[in-house]
Amino acid sequence: MSLLDDLVVQTAVFPLLAGLIGVGLLRYAAGPARGRRLAAAGVAVAFLAAYALIVGVPALPPPSSMGRLFWSAVAGVVLGIAADVAGLEPKRGSLLVGVWLTAALGWVAYPVLPGGLPTITAAAVLVAGAWFALSRTASHGAAGAATPGVVLLAAALAVGGVALVGASASVAQLAFALAAATGGLLLWNWPVEHHAWGTAGQAALGILVLLTAALTFFSSAPVEALVAVLPAFLADRLRDRLPLPDTSFGRAAGTVALTVIAVVPAVAAVGIAVLLSAGTEASGY
Amino acid sequence: MKTVLFAAALLASVSSIAQAAPVAYKLDPAHTSVAFIINHLGFANMIGRFNTASGAVSFDKDAVQNSTLTVAIDAASVDTAHAKRDDHLRSPDFFNVKEFPQITFKSTKIEKTGDRTGKLHGDLTMLGTTKPVVLDVTFNKEGVSPASKLETVGFSARGTVKRTDFGMKYGVPNIGDEIQLLIEAEAVKS
Repeated sequence: MSLLDDLVVQTAVFPLLAGLIGVGLLRYAAGPARGRRLAAAGVAVAFLAAYALIVGVPALPPPSSMGRLFWSAVAGVVLGIAADVAGLEPKRGSLLVGVWLTAALGWVAYPVLPGGLPTITAAAVLVAGAWFALSRTASHGAAGAATPGVVLLAAALAVGGVALVGASASVAQLAFALAAATGGLLLWNWPVEHHAWGTAGQAALGILVLLTAALTFFSSAPVEALVAVLPAFLADRLRDRLPLPDTSFGRAAGTVALTVIAVVPAVAAVGIAVLLSAGTEASGY
Repeated sequence: MKTVLFAAALLASVSSIAQAAPVAYKLDPAHTSVAFIINHLGFANMIGRFNTASGAVSFDKDAVQNSTLTVAIDAASVDTAHAKRDDHLRSPDFFNVKEFPQITFKSTKIEKTGDRTGKLHGDLTMLGTTKPVVLDVTFNKEGVSPASKLETVGFSARGTVKRTDFGMKYGVPNIGDEIQLLIEAEAVKS
């Protein structure tokens, strides 16, 4: 068994390093002006590399929902990078990502969509939650990558935790890998923010929504618990109320505070999932 | 005399043609087992089964190559005697049963290799992917079952498939790629 077959390497070490290197390379290659916005694409690119390592590259055309998820993510990353290279304004970029995401959700989930009112309701809640999350992260995009990055990391940890409770280990691994890749971006942006959160960064958030869709429609995970993670997207409002000085120390401390605040709803979501699954055996067999 | 002999020969040949026609049978779910063996981390092999399978056999004892078999397995009926593991096997990591509720097999060719043995060629469809597989099949017995009083045929089949051929890549190589199939089936005349 090689090092790349190790669970911790696949799920955390590799995507963290890939995110770190990817963000750095994109910033360097695109130059100081364009690179500042484009660098966040390193998160989604690192996720795709981790997907290939964990699950393998799916066939094209993809025969399964997880395969459609991968190729939807590729399309989103390409769209995001193109929008950032073209200098698309953040709100329009988010709108573009929203349209891509809605189409991708339909493609991933179409085999089960005729499943009646509960399925349609779940799909509607998912789309509404996605648009809410995208609008929240878009409002901070130009200022810096740290705020949306922290929120994405917290939300990805929540999705991973809920997936583990719901016995979908591959979705858990992929969500944790997305969190680790985002960690690579955040290492570049703490204590000082060097990057913005462009359209490709929004595409990374869209990938998390697609993972949530896979959990919702194709597993027995208690996904209703993930509604509890939505307040993480309002964590910046709580952070802004803290008496932090407007200095580099204050800004660095603010990012740490934001992380703590955002992780609370994420932990709550996993806790609710555990409670909803009460009575089943602990994982590990 | 010659006419009588000719008529008798003609009657015999017509009878043998009539006897060579395939006979339709339905798999008896109570006496059909579809099991699999897969390696777990190199320590031991794990045995599991699918509890629900149905199918039809068209069996020509005198011209086995004309026989056909179709089987449909309920993927959600996977059973490894461990509830949490079975939930995991039903998830998108493995059999993805919400998206692909059935695993199907449709025979394409039978090669006779011995008096009661043969190679059963067919298309196995799993996770939306169809691949050709070959099973070693043994025809065990044909007759009226003393238990059910029904005309019954019995078969055994063995084979190996690679799950990655069907896109089931999760966990390889820690959880084996090769899956040994063990099938024991009785089919009752329709």
